[in-house]
Amino acid sequence: MQESVARQAAGSRSDVSPKSRGERLFAAGWRTRDWPAAWLLLAPVLVLFGIAVVFPLVDTIRLSFFDTRGLSKPKFIGLGNYVKLFTDPAFRDTLVTTLIFTLSTTIVSVGIGWMLAMLSAFAPRQTLPFRVMIFAAFGISEAVAGYMWIGILRPDAGGLLNAVIGIFQPGFAQPWLGDPRTALGAVIVAAAWGGVGLPLMLCFASVQAIPKSLFEAAYIDGASHWQVLRSIMMPLSLPGVRVAVFINLLGALRAFDIIYILTGGGPVRSTETVGYFMYRESMTQFKLGYGAAATVVLLVAVLIVSVPAIIQRTAGAR
Amino acid sequence: MIGRAPRWPIVILGIVAVIWVIPIIGIVMTSIRPLAETSRGWWRIDSFTLTLSAWERVWETWPLAPAFVTTAVLAVIATVGTMLLTPAAAYAFHFLRFPFRRLLLIIIINAFVLPQQVVIIPLFQLWRDLGLIDNFLAVLIPYVGLSFAWSIFLVKNFLEDFPAEVVEASRIDGARPLQTFWHIVLPNSLAPVFATGILQFLWTWNALLLPLLYLRTNVPLPVILARINGTYELNWDMQSVAAIITTVVPLLVFLVFQRQFAAGAETRSGAKD
Repeated sequence: MQESVARQAAGSRSDVSPKSRGERLFAAGWRTRDWPAAWLLLAPVLVLFGIAVVFPLVDTIRLSFFDTRGLSKPKFIGLGNYVKLFTDPAFRDTLVTTLIFTLSTTIVSVGIGWMLAMLSAFAPRQTLPFRVMIFAAFGISEAVAGYMWIGILRPDAGGLLNAVIGIFQPGFAQPWLGDPRTALGAVIVAAAWGGVGLPLMLCFASVQAIPKSLFEAAYIDGASHWQVLRSIMMPLSLPGVRVAVFINLLGALRAFDIIYILTGGGPVRSTETVGYFMYRESMTQFKLGYGAAATVVLLVAVLIVSVPAIIQRTAGAR
Repeated sequence: MIGRAPRWPIVILGIVAVIWVIPIIGIVMTSIRPLAETSRGWWRIDSFTLTLSAWERVWETWPLAPAFVTTAVLAVIATVGTMLLTPAAAYAFHFLRFPFRRLLLIIIINAFVLPQQVVIIPLFQLWRDLGLIDNFLAVLIPYVGLSFAWSIFLVKNFLEDFPAEVVEASRIDGARPLQTFWHIVLPNSLAPVFATGILQFLWTWNALLLPLLYLRTNVPLPVILARINGTYELNWDMQSVAAIITTVVPLLVFLVFQRQFAAGAETRSGAKD
């Protein structure tokens, strides 16, 4: 509401370009007088941001060039940690696991979320409670979600999944989380369960933004629901899908909590992603330099995924 | 949306929604039935007894009550910190002119892509050297510091629609930059500041990695849950109670404010500008 009041007071926004506003404030004598106020307002932010973001970022990169094992002083070894990483078969497996986990979680979450968003657009009001039920899973922390899924993936016949399969195949008992062949899939399902909510909401907003007249016209021309879904909803909700894909890729790359709770990276490191590998190497094996190098690899992956978003933000920063 | 809404999408969504809440029903059922009944599966209904025994015993078994207080204290301080400092910075970036303004802004708003993993090794060493391990500051500083990467973007985005004329007028009336912030801009930007607070509250309440590494004695609920989970004792009933207690506050906040959350999360991830 305050926003609308502010807009009314301002008239339309387009006639106030940022540059002319800056110049006007400048003309009004607010430039050098700004400095003390600006630094005063920013000081706590810059200090905290410096400690929590800038320092760790620089220091992680710096540490990745050092051998920090043992009690002796860290020794500069250049690219040694990276050479070791990429010749370490465990790390190469980790990279593959990360790729599978990130892509599968994203495809499953966004795929289901997108489909459900388009279906609920056929009857937005009647499906509202169902959307809330699915979105609720997104409001549950990964740690708790992981715990919930342990109950479903239990290795004995008391696990819901085993019980459902047991209807067709009596006595079925698969240790989903304890078998290296199924553990990664099980973690992906659990992660995707919580991951569907946001794509559902984003894609639904995208579908809702499509002009109603398009649907009217399509139906008048005799289009079926399926044709409306395929030719209008799917292509026109792509902006929402793109956003959802980006968010879920970022989230899956930095995943830690759910892996920690469900499998701890096991069995035999079959569910260890790069984000978990760095934790294990640095915080449980105390190979800080080695863990830092793995973090830099993770950082590179994150940056590759984020290039469009970063360009967009940087261009928009005025 | 159209006059003739078909029925099948409603049916499909209903089925999916029911499947989606099964894990939630699972822990609720496990928490209110005796272990003897649920050990062969919480979904079995050959005998059904209601009991609050686990809800009573859990408080003595694990330090859930102090953990709840710890979680709330950490989440509230971190949330208030972010809500106070973010609008000040967003105002300075948007309305004031000072050296390196754009450079600082670009660095801060792009930091949202950084994963938490980048933080943990350097801060672990720093806190160890400063003796801050097991001190609340060890998590509060990164909680608030990391939040600026998305919160400043969110609030500054809102300020782009804020009428510059009002700020100019206050200036012509002789207000100093700080007075303009306090009397004009801040009271009129409460909506985005509030949205920022909700996001920060949920994030800090649910945080696992940082408190797991930097706190030892007074730990928040997710860390307790992780510890319980690692014990392999057959006490699913009490574990489920602990899981419910861990998630009930953020889940309620989330459901009540889901609109702000969706909008905020979208902005936070750089999707909107």
